[in-house]
Amino acid sequence: MISSTAEASFYSTMNVGRIALIRFYAYIGLALGISAMAMYGSSGYDEDAFLYQILSMQGLLWGGTGALLGSGLAVILATMKPAMLQGRVAGNTVPWVDGMLLMVLLAVIAAQFEPAREFITYEDQSNLLAPSIVMLMNMLLLFSAVTYIAYLFAPTEFMGRLATGTAYLGIYAAGVALLLRWHESYLFDMEIGHAPVSNLYEVFIFMFIITAAVYLSFERRYQARAMGAFVMSIVAAGVFFGIWLDSVGQGLIKPLVPALQSYWMKIHVPMNFVGYGSFAVACGAGMAYLVRYRLEANGGTAKVLAVFPSLEQLDQLAYKAVAVGFPAFTLATILGAAWAAEAWGGYWSWDPKETWALIVWLVYGAYLHARVSHGWHGKALAWWAVAGFLVTVFCFLGVNMYLSGLHSYGRLT
Amino acid sequence: MANMPRMQSFSESLKLLWQRLGSMSLAIILLMVLAIASVIGTVLLQNQSQMDYLQQFGPLWYWVFRSLGLFDMYHTWWFLTLLGFLMVSLSSCLWRNVPKMMKDMRTRKGTINERSLGRLELQKKWLLASETSIESLQEKFRGRLYGWEFKQVEQNGVHYVRADKGRYHKLGYISVHAAMLIILIGGWMSVEFGFRGNMAVPEGGKDHTIEFLKGTDTATLDMPFEVRCNSFVIDFFPTGAPKEFRSNLTIIDDGKEVLTSDIIVNDPLYYKGVYIYQASFGDGGSDITFKLFGMDGSGDIGQAKTSVYKSWTDEKTGVTIKVNDFKPYNVENMAGPGEIVNFKDLGPSVIYEIRGPGLKPAKIKAYMDPFIDINGNNMGSWLQISLTGDAADYQSVGLGLDLSNPKEWALFHAFMKRLSSMDITKDKMTETRHAFKLAMTDVFGDERPENFQDMAVRTMEAMQTLPKMPWPFIPMLDDYTHVYYTGLQLAKDPGMNVVWVGSAILTIGLCIMFYMPHRKLWLVVRSKDDGITVEFAGLTNRNQMAFKQNFNELFTQLDEDFRPKT
Repeated sequence: MISSTAEASFYSTMNVGRIALIRFYAYIGLALGISAMAMYGSSGYDEDAFLYQILSMQGLLWGGTGALLGSGLAVILATMKPAMLQGRVAGNTVPWVDGMLLMVLLAVIAAQFEPAREFITYEDQSNLLAPSIVMLMNMLLLFSAVTYIAYLFAPTEFMGRLATGTAYLGIYAAGVALLLRWHESYLFDMEIGHAPVSNLYEVFIFMFIITAAVYLSFERRYQARAMGAFVMSIVAAGVFFGIWLDSVGQGLIKPLVPALQSYWMKIHVPMNFVGYGSFAVACGAGMAYLVRYRLEANGGTAKVLAVFPSLEQLDQLAYKAVAVGFPAFTLATILGAAWAAEAWGGYWSWDPKETWALIVWLVYGAYLHARVSHGWHGKALAWWAVAGFLVTVFCFLGVNMYLSGLHSYGRLT
Repeated sequence: MANMPRMQSFSESLKLLWQRLGSMSLAIILLMVLAIASVIGTVLLQNQSQMDYLQQFGPLWYWVFRSLGLFDMYHTWWFLTLLGFLMVSLSSCLWRNVPKMMKDMRTRKGTINERSLGRLELQKKWLLASETSIESLQEKFRGRLYGWEFKQVEQNGVHYVRADKGRYHKLGYISVHAAMLIILIGGWMSVEFGFRGNMAVPEGGKDHTIEFLKGTDTATLDMPFEVRCNSFVIDFFPTGAPKEFRSNLTIIDDGKEVLTSDIIVNDPLYYKGVYIYQASFGDGGSDITFKLFGMDGSGDIGQAKTSVYKSWTDEKTGVTIKVNDFKPYNVENMAGPGEIVNFKDLGPSVIYEIRGPGLKPAKIKAYMDPFIDINGNNMGSWLQISLTGDAADYQSVGLGLDLSNPKEWALFHAFMKRLSSMDITKDKMTETRHAFKLAMTDVFGDERPENFQDMAVRTMEAMQTLPKMPWPFIPMLDDYTHVYYTGLQLAKDPGMNVVWVGSAILTIGLCIMFYMPHRKLWLVVRSKDDGITVEFAGLTNRNQMAFKQNFNELFTQLDEDFRPKT
């Protein structure tokens, strides 16, 4: 059970009732305000400098107005219908958005420490700040993964908190590094600047954020800390891959090819990785399930079992992760189709990437069907979650590495 | 089955088949079969030339793959049949389940019998003093629930309150499955009533026919208008990478110019239901002038005028030059591995094939400008030669001389002439130097050009390299008039909007399905002799864990509410 009733700290009071609701609506207003600026603002949407548009006076005005309207609406609604204050969505969502704002703030602070413009050249990117922060992120995430594994064998509260804490810090480092990278891409030349979701290296960092965040949200709500060893191991494997990518020059900031110069990239790619990241968490839950199943079959005396969530819980956590990932992935695929329709003249071309996205979608679709019918639970579905993630990995990595097609700009060279 | 009790009538077996088609097992099998089948087409490159396939797989496998349609497998009858099956299965599933689900949603019983109540996993019980007001209990229960629908019933002295949230959860199922059906129908409409093809229009030219693949053949279709390409421009980043491909197009309808507009990638043009996209570009038949540097020692320079995609044949020697491509710029990274990138434009180049009697055919990429190394030294003109015709086999060959400077060619021949009239057996160094000095005077008179030392080095180099060239003359790019063609894709897709509607319904349906579970709570109050029993039970169809937490929290709250304050 959640022990929220026991410790009523300042932070937990911030995330319930009126304050949470007003903040929730303010954030929605902020997002709508920025979108409205992109669509109706006097200078419109500037593909080449959207980051600065958001962070400029103009962005502040549009976003701020939206936030004010949002919070005003929340005050009115809450007065008219006090029962609204008992809703859970706002309270569950706002801490994460707070975190995102903090991330932006940290990135803005870090940006002050960038080398002066005259020392920044496109040809030699070694003096930029983001790579060091990525290195820090790598260390934090690896440390977190190791600590989570250690926690299985020495399940003390300290270990657990250390693992969780470093995972959070890792997310912050990753977010700050990505935002800084966005900023840095503009430092070379305004034309080169672009959102940091344009190549494998960048989306990998993004995927760490999503995977860890989805997992941590589960950990917060369902006390499933033992699962962290599995999820963070997947992240750690990704970290090593990212280091390798950087070592072969994939970590450099490069200008966007014409096909990627579209606002769709900023929507389609992150949405896809919400799906991929959630599927990674489902895989982690599936692995945890299989390990526990094996341990139980061997007599169930292992000490590790004490910290594991029950089989039933792991099964449901895997399902929950898929329930987050599947709609996100579906939406991402639809957005991709919309982009394809706008850029290539057809929403579906049976391009290898598209086809593999369909395959991933079919695999998880079948997973969901199998769960509902047959009462398939447990072992078979745990294997399915693991296998499904392997298919997913092939979709976002293997296709780029081994198959050619319209998504070949994500290719390794 | 051997022990089938009786022959089923035709309509009965049809009904049974219809039910089986909508079954979940079939759905799972279909989804997995589709997934596995789809893999084939991603591993096997689709719609390549038949020759390539034949070369790759050999005659036997080529024949097997071809008869299975694997080279264009997403349009084969068997793949479409699979999709058709999916549609039938979806329809059957909807047909069977929708009426049931609608009925469930409309009617809901307030009461719950003891047996069903007992079977629920989540339930709690209170025993309260008999003077407790039942209405106030129910009031408190309702007060704790925000956004729930209530139904209150009294039956046989038992008071029921049923609370529902997400009562329309089942609509999620229905809309998701209906949306898939809509999307598939939209896809079918796109294929059936739409088209999509390519058109290559050279700058200044116009066209009205698109080409597209039909099965493994190429088919054409006439558009109801003409497209003229006024210009095609490539913009570059400061790094040399292309930034934007832009075509300026004019639509000509019925002989009249109706519309002129720029298109770039990601920003198409729309006319008469047809979208026109920037898809590719290439050489649109640029005019090319070659200088032919004769190898007969005469020092003559011939000339050949042709254009890209055309051939030119020398009447005297029978040597043919077929021009394959022209590039106005060649941006290359001049840095070695591990060094900091250093992009540089090597200038225009032309790619041609040279053939002739007694000659080995070769593919040559000839650069107009001499090769300037990193330190700024002129290393002379150069070619890339591939004897197999494969771009991977290009080998760089330096010619020594800078052929873009005709004086240097003249100097080389003057030098050869002077050298041949001397006896170089005695003192090679001195005699050669002397011959070169005389040749310099022959060509330049008394005024020595700048960097004539470099010229001397190149001339010496050319003495080694030029005689090795097998051709009667070396064709070098001299002049050009560059023309691009813009590769356009034209598409009409009447099914597209249907697909978008389906997609919207799909997304909304998925959100309902996953995030708005149907949760039910019951508060059953019975008056008994020794007091009032209150039973509190809950049931959900999704996300059991969160519901369990909520249920327990709710129980704690209700527990405080129900117990008289002490």
